[in-house]
Amino acid sequence: MRRAATLDLAVVGCGAVVERLYRGALRALEARGVARVSALVDPDPARTSALGQHFPAARAFSTLADALAARRVALVIVTSPARLHAEHAIAALGAGCHVLCEKPMTIGVTDAERMVAAARDAGRVLAVGMTRRMYPCVADAREVISSGTLGTDLRFVHREGLVYEWPVATDAAFRMATAGGGVLVDLGSHALDLESTLLGALRVTSYADDAQDGGVETNCRVELTGPVARGVAQLSWNQPLVTALHVTGTLGELILDPRQVGALRWRRHGDAWNTRVSTATWPSDLALRGARGMPRHHHDCIYYQIVAVLRAIVHGESVPADGLDGLATARSIEACYARPQPLCLPWLTDAEQTRMDLRHHGRERWTAA
Amino acid sequence: MDGGIAVIGAGGFVGARLLEMAVLGGRTDVVPVVRAVRSMGRIAQLGLAYRVGDAGRPDSLASAIAGCEVVVNLTKGDAREILSTTENVHAAAVAAGARLLVHLSSAAVYGAAFPADLPDDAPPLPGHWMPYAREKGRAENFLRTRMGDPSLSIVVLRPMLIWGPGSPYVLGTATSLIDGSAWLVGDGSGICGLMYVDNLVRAILAVAAHPAPSSAFFHVGDDETTTWAEYYAALASGLCVDPSTIHRLPAGAYRPRVGDLLDGVRGSDAYRWLKDRVPLETRAGLKLRIARARSRGATSGRTVKSSPAVTRELWNLQTIRHRLPTGRFAATFPATSTTSFSAGMASSLTWLRFIGIGDAAA
Repeated sequence: MRRAATLDLAVVGCGAVVERLYRGALRALEARGVARVSALVDPDPARTSALGQHFPAARAFSTLADALAARRVALVIVTSPARLHAEHAIAALGAGCHVLCEKPMTIGVTDAERMVAAARDAGRVLAVGMTRRMYPCVADAREVISSGTLGTDLRFVHREGLVYEWPVATDAAFRMATAGGGVLVDLGSHALDLESTLLGALRVTSYADDAQDGGVETNCRVELTGPVARGVAQLSWNQPLVTALHVTGTLGELILDPRQVGALRWRRHGDAWNTRVSTATWPSDLALRGARGMPRHHHDCIYYQIVAVLRAIVHGESVPADGLDGLATARSIEACYARPQPLCLPWLTDAEQTRMDLRHHGRERWTAA
Repeated sequence: MDGGIAVIGAGGFVGARLLEMAVLGGRTDVVPVVRAVRSMGRIAQLGLAYRVGDAGRPDSLASAIAGCEVVVNLTKGDAREILSTTENVHAAAVAAGARLLVHLSSAAVYGAAFPADLPDDAPPLPGHWMPYAREKGRAENFLRTRMGDPSLSIVVLRPMLIWGPGSPYVLGTATSLIDGSAWLVGDGSGICGLMYVDNLVRAILAVAAHPAPSSAFFHVGDDETTTWAEYYAALASGLCVDPSTIHRLPAGAYRPRVGDLLDGVRGSDAYRWLKDRVPLETRAGLKLRIARARSRGATSGRTVKSSPAVTRELWNLQTIRHRLPTGRFAATFPATSTTSFSAGMASSLTWLRFIGIGDAAA
């Protein structure tokens, strides 16, 4: 079997996402000869320098344009701040590169549509970093649900929340102007994608959050409905929510911990819980009939996700999540923000809740509309 | 901002609620001061301007609290940093020309055995076994030596057990009640020295509002006296948990357990050194293996979850026989403990359902 050529990659944005999530996967790809990081792009030379120590073949650039002019890369991994995703992805696609864009794909539907159009026009792959699609438990849950094991009339409650601890360098994530939103954009990008992956297309029917003048939401609640299922997603940046996706149907129920790659329980009503032992595997390299592996944790999933994107480039296989999936999530988020209601927070006194309702950012939007 | 209140440690449990109460109370003079920008994530809904100040560096703190006349120190962090952090906050308050420093200490500085009439200015128990309590005591001792400075009033507040929505004492107790690992020492008649978080925030703001408070130590707490049995019973009732599932452990001397040993290891410099050097991926893999090993234990018929999860800290708390006298604080400042036990419990239970505990829909 002929070994596929090593593909060159560029990484745009060398902050915490790459440092904490991508670095190990990229090093593993290099060690296995699957890909090589040849360009690191960030306006902060300290960041490219620190990351460059792990990638000897990589050259540092302060702008993507410089990198694309100097290096011939197959795939650009966009891990820059979300507000720059569209600009970076469209530039990379325009230069003939394929793109893997971290979540959220964009802030707003318009940019998402531009990215999808750019990929289509360039005939290039546009993948979105929905790493949870690589979780074995998600693959298993999909199988359990699609097999009809849970029956019909599916209802779900999806909670995800904990006190925010991502090591951001600036407060861009906490400003509407720069982040486009708060926990809905952040955790919600994953949550909405997971729900639609498992339960089919879902439409936002109502949305409430706690964002006040000048702030972004730290708690939100989304009600969704679709042909197969309906339910609620609750997300938080400051409350220790009992994190789980709980799906109930006429015949049974399923509980998935969306932060664990292998946690899945399901049962028929009245029966004991089954703990699913996953057998889901993903290709480990670019060989057509090469090795496969099972992710053990989130970092492994990032590795397999990049391999999947590279295989899409080389073999034309489908990517775990493409630009249209990212666009669908962007549309759902925009539908939420179009008409936000104040969220009822149980720890507030009546007077505080009234004041919060008055300070709620939705009032500004409605007034502006 | 001139005349404002700087809240150092604004991203913590008490700090976040203080900011929320202040903003929703219409105040605009409260300034969050955080060590890292990420701490603002917890209160990002408020859209507040904030300042970054590292309590490990007095110069950084002094500029962060510049212009504020009151400094509230709610920093928690590593026990080994409590004293140095307190020294730095004090130095910064002096350097910034603040008139008042409100310092949050803890009744833990007295251990479990203290007389019912313990004066507010009683010195902390020396050589406390728990690093947190010991260092809180050392921080108090430091502030005591600075209370003679007429330019900066220092008010030290000593709550025992801060509870309410968001409190680890509510979440931890509720979780243990549901999974069957909750326990009480003896008949549960030990005094649960509760202070509802809103009552504590009101106490802090009352001190801050005082035009010229004298430097002093104050015991603070809720007005009502609640036993551990009553506290557990109220939570159990709200969560529809059969109170007979609460383990009753014979009163007596605490017997060290494996968990104490592990806590000792986790607190050691060697452990921290190692943890800082193990890659995230490896740590994630180790956690997964431990979780799998635990789940194997659970499915093999061993009653892992229903065993009482005894800790020395909680044991000591449950063996306290008196509530600290809070009369001096009440006589000095306006009534602040306006949230009753029943109202606080109702809010706590609603919060638990909000986060998904005891919620039938989940």
